[in-house]
Amino acid sequence: MASADSRRLGDGDGAGGAFQPYLDSLRQELQQRDPTVLSVVVALLAVLLTLVFWKLVRSRRSSQRAVLLLGLCDSGKTLLFVRLLTGHYRDTQTSITDSSATYRVNNNRGNSLTLIDLPGHESLRLQFLERFKTSARAVVFVVDSAAFQREVKDVAEFLYQVLIDSMSLKNTPSFLIACNKQDIAMAKSAKLIQQQLEKELNTLRVTRSAAPSTLDSSSTAPAQLGKKGKEFEFSQLPLKVEFLECSAKGGRGDPGSADIQDLEKWLAKIA
Amino acid sequence: MLDFFTIFSKGGLVLWCFQGVSDSCTGPVNALIRSVLLQERGGNNSFTHEALTLKYKLDNQFELVFVVGFQKILTLTYVDKLIDDVHRLFRDKYRTEIQQQSALSLLNGTFDFQNDFLRLLREAEESSKIRAPTTMKKFEDSEKAKKPVRSMIETRGEKPKEKAKNSKKKGAKKEGSDGPLATSKAVPAEKSGLPVGPENGVELSKEELIRRKREEFIQKHGRGLEKSSKSKSEAPKEKGKKAPRVWELGGCANKEVLDYSTPTTNGAPEAALSEDINLIRGTGPGGQLQDLDCSSSDDEGAAQNSTKPSSTKGTLGGMFGMLKGLVGSKSLSREDMESVLDKMRDHLIAKNVAADIAVQLCESVANKLEGKVMGTFSTVTSTVKQALQESLVQILQPQRRVDMLRDIMDAQRRQRPYVVTFCGVNGVGKSTNLAKISFWLLENGFSVLIAACDTFRAGAVEQLRTHTRRLSALHPPEKHGGRTMVQLFEKGYGKDAAGIAMEAIAFARNQGFDVVLVDTAGRMQDNAPLMTALAKLITVNTPDLVLFVGEALVGNEAVDQLVKFNRALADHSMAQTPRLIDGIVLTKFDTIDDKVGAAISMTYITSKPIVFVGTGQTYCDLRSLNAKAVVAALMKA
Repeated sequence: MASADSRRLGDGDGAGGAFQPYLDSLRQELQQRDPTVLSVVVALLAVLLTLVFWKLVRSRRSSQRAVLLLGLCDSGKTLLFVRLLTGHYRDTQTSITDSSATYRVNNNRGNSLTLIDLPGHESLRLQFLERFKTSARAVVFVVDSAAFQREVKDVAEFLYQVLIDSMSLKNTPSFLIACNKQDIAMAKSAKLIQQQLEKELNTLRVTRSAAPSTLDSSSTAPAQLGKKGKEFEFSQLPLKVEFLECSAKGGRGDPGSADIQDLEKWLAKIA
Repeated sequence: MLDFFTIFSKGGLVLWCFQGVSDSCTGPVNALIRSVLLQERGGNNSFTHEALTLKYKLDNQFELVFVVGFQKILTLTYVDKLIDDVHRLFRDKYRTEIQQQSALSLLNGTFDFQNDFLRLLREAEESSKIRAPTTMKKFEDSEKAKKPVRSMIETRGEKPKEKAKNSKKKGAKKEGSDGPLATSKAVPAEKSGLPVGPENGVELSKEELIRRKREEFIQKHGRGLEKSSKSKSEAPKEKGKKAPRVWELGGCANKEVLDYSTPTTNGAPEAALSEDINLIRGTGPGGQLQDLDCSSSDDEGAAQNSTKPSSTKGTLGGMFGMLKGLVGSKSLSREDMESVLDKMRDHLIAKNVAADIAVQLCESVANKLEGKVMGTFSTVTSTVKQALQESLVQILQPQRRVDMLRDIMDAQRRQRPYVVTFCGVNGVGKSTNLAKISFWLLENGFSVLIAACDTFRAGAVEQLRTHTRRLSALHPPEKHGGRTMVQLFEKGYGKDAAGIAMEAIAFARNQGFDVVLVDTAGRMQDNAPLMTALAKLITVNTPDLVLFVGEALVGNEAVDQLVKFNRALADHSMAQTPRLIDGIVLTKFDTIDDKVGAAISMTYITSKPIVFVGTGQTYCDLRSLNAKAVVAALMKA
């Protein structure tokens, strides 16, 4: 009996009408003053309330406490994730799914954030971005500084997508572009990466607006990035975009060698 | 012997790694992930990368991946068993660490697995050594053994004969009602007891088969009579259940191996499938005989019967099932999913996805879901559907950046024309869509040279000339500062297409055109000389983009077309990395309503993006693909 009840509740949250005959029979039995029925009803109510309460608490906590690690494949997101959490070095493979963990910020308030490492592969990244973007408090966009010259078009394209998406959110997240792999000799500096990205995004604005419309007719005009008729700059955006250099790998196996202090400071700031 | 064995989480963290040789295992494993796991090609669990063979196993419950790599030339028989053993041991040993949702416990956990692994490896190697003088494969194990069952059934003419026989013998079962069932039941007898050597079974003549059957029926008949009186009381309950027949002469042949009785697809609902199999497996050697009363019945009767056990079973396990469903933490098994997957596969095929691809997709989804713990309130159907939907979106997501305008700008800066070649079979709309694309390019301010390299079909050049005239009327030189925006480059019929294309590109470079669109003659994929010619055209001219034009109406043919076009390009290429198809233009999309399966078929085979979609007759009927819209149309009931 109890299980049947709760199943009904579970199945038909929205359909109130379906309960009507059920409620009637309940009332009838209540009038017979059967204590078991009453206790069952009370128990059910308690369970329901707990569920609702639990859900509320959960949704509140997860909202806007997440820091998303985004970027192309092989830019070092997962290693950065590991370094931030443990400080150790770990071998990594291409991620197939997201991984998340609570990150304790080292400032005096002792806040905690949820770090979420998203897969960077082309066929997955947009799906995962879609899933997690609403809970983002901050976005860390990781760029491989050593291979930047080769990947600049792909980086810009993904960055364009992320920027458009995060601008359309209700509370825009803080945005950081982390120029990773600074330990490699040929790595580009953050300054240069910023310039190149601005130039690339500028052309991307043109080509994107000229692309043929998509299949479904409901598509609205895409949001414009930056000011019209002006060369694109990150300062034109409604959200603040910061750049910093870091190196997640450093000397292998040595916990102190990674150069991620700036990133930790930034995370402490936004927490 | 093994090059490496690595265990990592799906999130990308390597938990433990065994290195047999000094080479890093990261490269091959990443290749495996990118070209198998992320492309929904996870049907069979091995993959070849350069000189290595990789075998993998997914643990969906704890989101782990086990990969073993060894040299391709070795045939290591123990690898499958080793993976299974390692999987089991690892899971049991580190259950607490890997159970948690948070990645933190994975990071902090220490996985000191080396000794255990080495022990397992040694055991596996030794066990394979014991078996070293390999016994010859038994006939039952071979592929061939499975074949004759199917190939013997199909003779349609045989069925009525059989039926007639059945009805003649009063005690006969409802044997002949269904082809596959009938013969599959007959097979165990053939294999196990009767004095015919197994190899002969392959080329059994029809007469022999019939004679054999007759003997069986006599046997069955006799036994059935004596048993039926005993089992009368339970007979009504067991009605319609199919028990594997066991013959007294049968020896101890493995029943499960020989049990080929796949469920019927016509009539019997798929829901009954998993239970049916369990019932069949469950019955002891005594075996419940089928009810004699229901003599050679028609198909309808059989279908009805087979639904019965499932419904009674449902009410029996209903209470527990319900409770279990509510409590959650139910992990999916392949049997659970089977019926849903079958339905999904049929659905995909009905939506015009090529049959092979639908099968592969479902297989891969099953692999991805097996062992996964379902949510509290989700059913098997919804879970499978969700997973399939994600996989489809994943397939349609471009693996390669396609931004033609961006690349054209790049070429412009380098003062050279951007060359696009269109290829495809006859009548799919190459020239029409070429005209649409040139209109789109003109609208964006690029000048276009159209090279008429279809020197075969009558009227092909004239068609392009008409398009050119119209396009230049829309974009006259006066509007663009006296610059000719669109021009046709033609050399008449019967000439070598590759030569014309080359001249066209040289002409475009001199005249300062931004884009060259090369129209080729349509050709069937089986026409070898024409395919060679196309490969030559592409090898000689090295276009920046090779677009395959395919119509959305195509069904199973899509696989063949794309595979053969790609193979032709690869075979005739001299270069180290051959030029293959870079993108797909999907035409006639307005004619198919929601049967959008061709989009999936084409992207699945090539893993190349669909760059444009043609949706009509006018110049502006050119669209880009929206993966979500297509998947929504595909999943719509």
